[in-house]
Amino acid sequence: MEPVLMILIVVLVVIGGLLASLGAHLLPVGGAPAAMGTATGIATGTVQIMLGATMTGLFTAASVATFSDSLALVALSGAVGATVMISVVMFMANILYVFGCGVVPISGRVDVDPITKEPQAPYKTPQTDGHGVPNVVFVSGMMGGFIGGLGGALMYYALLNYAGFSAGTAAIGALSIFVANAIIAAYNIRGTIEGFHDPKFKRLPFALATSLAVSLLCGIVVVIAATVLGGAM
Amino acid sequence: MTVTPAVVEEEAPTKKGLNFTFPLEETEMGIVAGIIAAVITIYTGFPAVIKGVGLILAFLWGMDSVHKTSKYGLGTGVPSIGVLAIGYGVIGTVMGLALAEYGRIGQLYPAVLVGVLVMGVIGLVSGTMSNHEKLIAMKIPHLERAMMELGMAGTLIILLECSIVTGSLNFGAVVTNVMNTGLIALMFIFSCFAILHPYNACLGPDERRERTRMVAVEIGGLVCVLLGLALVVLGTSPYGILDGVSLIVFGVAVWVVFFRMFIKACMDEAYSTVGTGLIKTIE
Amino acid sequence: MGLIVVLLFAWMLVIAFLAFIACTFEDLESDMGSQSNPNSQVQLAAQVGQINRFFNKAISGEPLSNALYCATAGTVAWLLLLKLEPLVPGEEWKAAVLAIPVGVLAAAMVNMIFSVTSHCGRTAAMKRFEQPIYLDVLYGHLLPIATHAFMTTFCITCIAYIQSNLGTLSGNPSLNHPFALPLLGFIWGITVGSIGSSTGDVHYGTEREFQDRPFGEGKRVVYHGKITRYADCGVRTQRDIAGFCAKFGGPVTGMTFGLIILFENWRSMVGMQLSGFLPALPVFTSTADMAAVIGIVMGLLIVAALAVGNLVFVRWVRKKCGPFVGV
Repeated sequence: MEPVLMILIVVLVVIGGLLASLGAHLLPVGGAPAAMGTATGIATGTVQIMLGATMTGLFTAASVATFSDSLALVALSGAVGATVMISVVMFMANILYVFGCGVVPISGRVDVDPITKEPQAPYKTPQTDGHGVPNVVFVSGMMGGFIGGLGGALMYYALLNYAGFSAGTAAIGALSIFVANAIIAAYNIRGTIEGFHDPKFKRLPFALATSLAVSLLCGIVVVIAATVLGGAM
Repeated sequence: MTVTPAVVEEEAPTKKGLNFTFPLEETEMGIVAGIIAAVITIYTGFPAVIKGVGLILAFLWGMDSVHKTSKYGLGTGVPSIGVLAIGYGVIGTVMGLALAEYGRIGQLYPAVLVGVLVMGVIGLVSGTMSNHEKLIAMKIPHLERAMMELGMAGTLIILLECSIVTGSLNFGAVVTNVMNTGLIALMFIFSCFAILHPYNACLGPDERRERTRMVAVEIGGLVCVLLGLALVVLGTSPYGILDGVSLIVFGVAVWVVFFRMFIKACMDEAYSTVGTGLIKTIE
Repeated sequence: MGLIVVLLFAWMLVIAFLAFIACTFEDLESDMGSQSNPNSQVQLAAQVGQINRFFNKAISGEPLSNALYCATAGTVAWLLLLKLEPLVPGEEWKAAVLAIPVGVLAAAMVNMIFSVTSHCGRTAAMKRFEQPIYLDVLYGHLLPIATHAFMTTFCITCIAYIQSNLGTLSGNPSLNHPFALPLLGFIWGITVGSIGSSTGDVHYGTEREFQDRPFGEGKRVVYHGKITRYADCGVRTQRDIAGFCAKFGGPVTGMTFGLIILFENWRSMVGMQLSGFLPALPVFTSTADMAAVIGIVMGLLIVAALAVGNLVFVRWVRKKCGPFVGV
């Protein structure tokens, strides 16, 4: 295998891992409290929603990879697929919050929405940490889905076309590296996060450093496997 | 019954406590299970039932690691660490299988253990960085060791499952029979559950390790049934159809024994088991 | 036989319809056994002294558990297809008619096994809070859980089967999805679970579990664990809850997944159609790239529409509901 290709695989896997970590930090995750309107965000765990979005993106990316060999198009297809998934989920969740529970979508971490400049505090139930998916959180979630999907699709493309894995091997390999990075990000977040405006977002560099180390090692493992096999997959 | 509050203690002797315990402590269990599973992994000539035993031991090892980490609270639920283990396991399997042909003696593939060791190193790195106070600072005792063990156990599990289904550790055979057919999806998710479900299902202040381990063995039996079915249908075993059938029988037997044992233990050790009844009202 | 474009679009609509059914039942299945988010309150209830008759189905989060059922169903169905398809050459659908339900049945049994272990295990581990195991609760919930899971898994396995044979079904096998049936089941299992968890549980988590608390406010931390244990008549079990959620929470959740599947497949198909890629399938050409580009642009338009929709919707709600007035 040519050295350029080897470096390319490692670089793409590392970028994919870093994007997975960054995307997980941008997603608004509220966990179980969000399901009760006690916290802002999507009512599930970081890893779970990240995986759901990325898998949707990966499905489309894999379709596109069968008829196009452009890295940008495959990666963007995956990213847009993940964004569509996360946007529909956030929009429909808002409908459920409003009509099912009668709460107004507001953020608990900021007093004024940084994007629409709407005041948040008067609408909040005391002793809760916000509810629903307000606009700033929606935008953050869209970015998170886009970045996460991009990371997953980049890894898939690198494993499929540069390392020469078959579609099934590439998918499960990309999923494994992705999930490791997303879980490390989830440990860094510890529970709930609202998005880029959340104070917890400042912890991002710690997760990125760990992700860098883990994905670098994983990338090297993939390169060794691909080199030894010489594309015989 | 390890911890019992004072109120219940008075009636405790009237209950049938379950005395069955697994003989080994956590560290011993890890060493024993790791060595036996590794030996079974590198020699692919064993019949599928023996590989099934190795698989269950590896599950027990992984489950123990989840058990000792998750009781401190991970912040994002027990399942994540089980998925992490199998995620590492898949990467390690790709690595191990790629190197399998080096130093091969007949059906003995010692080089696949390089994949296990490499995943141990990656697990150690991620555990150290997750626990390091200047980085993620999870502050969980022995997280480094647990993540290392999880990476190794996960790799052994996926390698053993590949070895059961294909009857060898040849990369080409694994790709044709496991990866391209999608069987890897079943292996991935079922192995995750074998590692994470026992502790997740038994979580609570009165959780008991022996009870938790029964679930791991029970799920191991289920995995054996499904892999045996795959082995029968794919017909890849060198011992013919009997190999798969014996694995299915073994899996069913293990499942029945341990499922019954677990449910009996739960019903005996719960506060009480009643056919029906109203709830205790407060105020 | 060449590719029939209308057939391709028709199959896509069938997939979207199946997705709607799948996620509706997925939400109801998790409501039937207090999985995922509402489970945290059932778990907490006994600890704050609220002994209850709820089913404690703690099978990890919904994404993983649904991936488990769908991957199991997909694998068993795929193994059966491998054996059965050669028996009916030229009429492979006959094999699928038998293989998919059998595979899904296996998955439903796996679901029941995991449900029993988690309910018994979690309740036994709460000994000090004096929570008994009610056998009628245990047995009475198993069949409803299994039937709801059967519906979900059946639809997802059908989706995976159609997608992995999409090209064959509409005339050109090269349009088949590159992933195998079990892997597609795994992917859609994860997605359906993460949607059921993130949207579906809202209607149950706030509403039904805390019905005796004020409507129109988020649940304060002091209420956590103090769930509503009595139903309209008698003591509540989860079977009372699924009927409530089937009116609003389930269908909305189903619509979420249906919309996602519809948008995802629709934008790819429209891209292929508009770029002239479709009947001839010239792979790895500029026409194929154009198909991907149009698909991406369509996706971005959908996302933009949703973002604007959310902006309008939140503004409308803020005006309609006004600031918080309670105490």
